Amino acid sequence: MNPVDPQRLHALDAVRGFALMLGVAFHAALSFMPGWPPGLWAMADNSPSPLLGDAAFVAHIFRMTLFFFIAGFFARLLHGKLGAAGFCRNRLLRIAVPLVAGWVLLYPLISSIWIAGITKAFGGNLPPMPEAPRVFGAFPLTHLWFLYQLLQLYAIALLLSALAARIDRSRKLRDAADGLVSAALGFPMAVLLLTVPVALALMALPTWYYWSGIPTPDQSLIPQPVPLVGYGVAFGFGWLVHRSSTALASLARYWLPNLLAGVVAATWLLLSLRVSPMAPPGFPANPLDLVDGTTLTKSGFAFMHGVAAWGLAMGITGAALRFLSGHSPVRRYIADASYWVYLAHLPVVAALQVWVGQWPLHWSLKYPFILVVSLVMLFASYHWLVRPTLVGQLLNGRRYRRTDRAPNPPASPSPALPPGAGRGGSAPVASLRGITKTFDGITALDSIDIQAHSGELLALLGPNGAGKSTAISLWLGLIEADGGDVALLGGTPQEAARRQGLGVMMQDVELPRELSPRELVRLASSYYTDPLPLEETLRRAGVTAFADRAYGKLSGGQKRLAQFAVAICGQPRVLFLDEPSVGLDVQAREALWASIRELLAAGCAVVLTTHYLEEAEALADRVAVIAKGHLIATGSVDDMRALVARRRISCESRLSVAEVGAWPGVLDARLERDRLHLTASDAETVVRRLLAEDPSLSRLEVREAGLNEAFNELTREAA
Amino acid sequence: MNARPMDHGAIAWVLSPRRLAGAYLEEIRCEALRLLRNRGLAFPVLVMPVALYALIALVVAGEDTARDPMVGVFLFSAFSVMAISMPALFGIGTSLAMEREMGLLRLKRAQPAPAGSWLVAKIACGLAFGLIAYLPILATALAADRLPLEPVRILAMSATLVAGAIPFCAMGLMIGTLFRGSSAPGYANLVYLPGCYLSGMFFPLPKSMYWQTPVWPQFHVNQLAMHAAGVGKFQFEPLLMAAAGAVGFTVLFSAVAIWRLARKG
Repeated sequence: MNPVDPQRLHALDAVRGFALMLGVAFHAALSFMPGWPPGLWAMADNSPSPLLGDAAFVAHIFRMTLFFFIAGFFARLLHGKLGAAGFCRNRLLRIAVPLVAGWVLLYPLISSIWIAGITKAFGGNLPPMPEAPRVFGAFPLTHLWFLYQLLQLYAIALLLSALAARIDRSRKLRDAADGLVSAALGFPMAVLLLTVPVALALMALPTWYYWSGIPTPDQSLIPQPVPLVGYGVAFGFGWLVHRSSTALASLARYWLPNLLAGVVAATWLLLSLRVSPMAPPGFPANPLDLVDGTTLTKSGFAFMHGVAAWGLAMGITGAALRFLSGHSPVRRYIADASYWVYLAHLPVVAALQVWVGQWPLHWSLKYPFILVVSLVMLFASYHWLVRPTLVGQLLNGRRYRRTDRAPNPPASPSPALPPGAGRGGSAPVASLRGITKTFDGITALDSIDIQAHSGELLALLGPNGAGKSTAISLWLGLIEADGGDVALLGGTPQEAARRQGLGVMMQDVELPRELSPRELVRLASSYYTDPLPLEETLRRAGVTAFADRAYGKLSGGQKRLAQFAVAICGQPRVLFLDEPSVGLDVQAREALWASIRELLAAGCAVVLTTHYLEEAEALADRVAVIAKGHLIATGSVDDMRALVARRRISCESRLSVAEVGAWPGVLDARLERDRLHLTASDAETVVRRLLAEDPSLSRLEVREAGLNEAFNELTREAA
Repeated sequence: MNARPMDHGAIAWVLSPRRLAGAYLEEIRCEALRLLRNRGLAFPVLVMPVALYALIALVVAGEDTARDPMVGVFLFSAFSVMAISMPALFGIGTSLAMEREMGLLRLKRAQPAPAGSWLVAKIACGLAFGLIAYLPILATALAADRLPLEPVRILAMSATLVAGAIPFCAMGLMIGTLFRGSSAPGYANLVYLPGCYLSGMFFPLPKSMYWQTPVWPQFHVNQLAMHAAGVGKFQFEPLLMAAAGAVGFTVLFSAVAIWRLARKG
């Protein structure tokens, strides 16, 4: 795949947005068409406009061709990025779901507005409506037909690309196609080449209203041949342009000749339309007779229609590539909004058309009114109801926060000690390397490195909100890191196979209340290739006594033990225990610890988060302290003990902070409200010296620093 | 007793087909047990439709259904749609919403549970409970002689109705993924009850409201049943449209649910 300059993608995004916005302007003009009988559109305005009629005709010539061309280009880009399966999933969500959901929501609205408008146009009496054609597949797709058409084209493209991969193993065919596209993109070859298939398809139409151009396939679920050819050519050309490395440059280079060819052809079409609005039935006797005098024949009209459509489409794309490359927040916003705006516009525009249809005002006031009011409504709805919500996520692939900001760049690494090597220096079974994770701009983990080894218990300590559970969630594959590597049993946690070696007890999980621990363990065991025997699991977890009582009727501690049983039933190689002993009485906790020791002896790696230092002391080989997303210390339990053995000394003294702070054994000295606060590793010596040097010292207080205090201090040091 | 020593090289990373099938069956068994043990759900869902059918079709509108047998068939179909849709919608929707709130789905994602096993279990139970709710209505209708159709037609209609639970399973999934635990039943009713009336299932709608019936899944499923029963008088849309409607809603609801699950878990 060729890397396409992202600057150019901005331009193409803008073109797609333009094609869709043009559609809104086009539909807004349709109530002003001179000569259209009432009933053809939702409303026939009392002030028709020949100018809007011509403008709408010209817009209609090329807007969908342009759209499908860009769609083909982005389709290949996406296909290359996501692969066939990912592409299908993506398109189902972004195209098929909006098609179905949009139709269900919009169709009732559109039909009721149509009925209201036609009733109004016929002076208050709804004329007998023509029956929907009773043919196989008949279905009023409304303006959402373009999504249905896209789905057809995606299916064909996938089929062809799979076929190409199969029969063209040496890539000769595809290289030849690329060469052809590159050679043909000069002016005027490309326009002519693209025109021929479209013109042939149009010529073959038995009844063809010139005005309608490529007939809109909005009445049937059966794919229609002429639009399939007309828009298929556009889509396929877009696909090929993405293949070619030089095509975009050629388009940009020939933007003006292409545009001029399109304008000349469109003008000629307009003039010929005045002479004859409809092609004679059947295929032209002599398809090469393009003109009759100066006006166009059917084949001439078909041919010129192709030239106009492709000249304008390529001219506009080329101009955008030439002048609109580069990021512009406004264009980006409009391009993002255009999909929603186009999907939702029809009822809004039609309702306004119906409303203003009989006002005694000139069209030059009414048309801008319709356009401005509908666009304001549509953009407002986009900004507040779509962009920050799941609808925006669905349509544009991402959801913006209401106050959108750039994602925070990862901060500098925290000054953590390097984690000690595991027992015997074995390779870690689970590791986090350079992990950074933010939630809504708040850093939960910042450049964290932690490893867990076989047969070793790693205790993650830290105050609430420190990031311990986030670290576990990363290992479980429940969330993904913004940066860094997560490894689990030699792979990533997202691989289902790796989770065969994993057991987990999460913090805020309730198991189904109606089931008993025995049933719960039986279910969890069924997930593993080599689970422990059921009774053995129940025994090890200490739940045998209440194994047949409903989970909902168990005490808090019993529930935790049942969860522990679920965690160990698969003989895990890595066991994650998130606050396992919360709510357990002393006896149950001892039993749990014994069970954990059994697992360690069998070679299981255990990662445990806890508030309780004594739990870490009883079980842990290594301890990692996390605070505010930083790994602030790792080491053995003895290292931690030293850390927590610090004492806090406070007193009122005339000694200065700087002086005392420099003494050996004093780790930290502060003066707060005339009191001296010291943190000391050797409190006795420091107190002796304090009393010796300041006989007037008063209100002396010495106490153990708690674990939380140690954390807080460490955090301050780390910050 | 000591722990079994672990042979680190010998972990099979993938479940054998037999164990995989076992995992799915175990999941279904547990789901069924949960539904059965949840009396607040099981009773109204299984008993209410048949009770209402007996009351409305046999007592209140008893004369009409005796006079025009096809009206009887239509009412039978209407209450059957209600019977098959309620377990699917409320059983799946509310339980899924609760489970999401309890963090159970997060746990399942972390465990090596086979992909979608909980989903398969929920859908299987939704269909099975639909069938259990449907059979008493069928028995009542046959006993009261309100189904004057050929046996093949009755069979086709029954199959259609039972399969008709699928769109409602999808709807339940969608509601279960969109709303939080305790509010889910409320939202399920909000989506479900208007559909029962506005689809014209329980009483004839004025002509001006015909246009909106296709937006309700109940309408399409009921129409499918009417086609299966061969009751021309109550066929308001072609078979193809009815099938497309039912499939379309299933796809739509499932897509929303899947997308939502992928994002929120």
